[in-house]
Amino acid sequence: MDDSKLGHFSDPPMFVLASLAHGPKHGHAMIEDIARLCGTRLGPGTLYGAIARLEQQGWIEPLPPEERRRPYRITAEGERVLRAKLTTLRRFTKAGLGRLEAL
Amino acid sequence: MNPRLAHLLMRLYPRPWRERYGAEFEALLQTGRGDLRMAANVVWSALREHLAPTRGGKINQDPRSLRFQSWCVRAPWAMFGLAPLCLLAGAYFVACFILWSGWRLLLPGTNTPFVRIDGFAIYYFGVGRAVYYGAPILIGWGIGLIAAPQSTTALWPTVGLALIALISVTAQVHASHPVPGGAGHISMDFALGHSLQGISSGLFHALMIFSLMVLPYLMVRLQKAHSLSA
Repeated sequence: MDDSKLGHFSDPPMFVLASLAHGPKHGHAMIEDIARLCGTRLGPGTLYGAIARLEQQGWIEPLPPEERRRPYRITAEGERVLRAKLTTLRRFTKAGLGRLEAL
Repeated sequence: MNPRLAHLLMRLYPRPWRERYGAEFEALLQTGRGDLRMAANVVWSALREHLAPTRGGKINQDPRSLRFQSWCVRAPWAMFGLAPLCLLAGAYFVACFILWSGWRLLLPGTNTPFVRIDGFAIYYFGVGRAVYYGAPILIGWGIGLIAAPQSTTALWPTVGLALIALISVTAQVHASHPVPGGAGHISMDFALGHSLQGISSGLFHALMIFSLMVLPYLMVRLQKAHSLSA
């Protein structure tokens, strides 16, 4: 996996990966889960933009449809990407908070 | 959301995207409230999908390229009208400079640079001639190749190509000596002709050049239409 791709990573794909890290979900369940997780309610267009890109990257994969809804699950590569990104964010958060406390 | 509105919104997406996600996306839209904010989100996302497609496109597209595409949509008059004219003006300046400098350096003492030449001068003036005659065609092909993959109307690329074609057939270069024995002077003017026959002949040539310039645009558009219908 090319780690440079992480540089172009914006929030919606991260939210989707984080949501799917808790188990497979379809679109509506993802929107609700992301809203609970971080207070952001993704629009359907934004959500499917993220899903399409993540699927093309091979970081999530579709499961057989349930009626007209299709659940997705995170892949092993997607887990690795999410872990790497969250680790970077944790480092950044720790450093940022440390600087604020020093003020 | 009203199923009919959900279907209409889903139809805003490009066909390859709809074939993969259309049914599930429509189902998702139908479960939502269907307010204005949701509709705006879908319209904006569909536009982005046209500009930077995930299906049949490059998903890791450089953001700079996306910004460039965005300019093609937001200011097509500048990208396909003004920018090519500026490029053509630059090319004509370079061609005139080559003519003027070649006249001073390689043909001192002659009243005009348009005389019989030999040796190195053939190559030197040949470069200027290539820039002068080649620039409109290359710029026209550039407009076509940039415009064809974009989801914009053909209006501004057509206007840009027509302007370039018209300028290229009306451009005339003049060489003169304003002061006898002094430095030569190169100037350009643009005239279609003074008689009806001259005007119609100029327009015919402009049409020929336009047809030549528009070829890459048509080829890419046809290829795009073919890949979408496949």
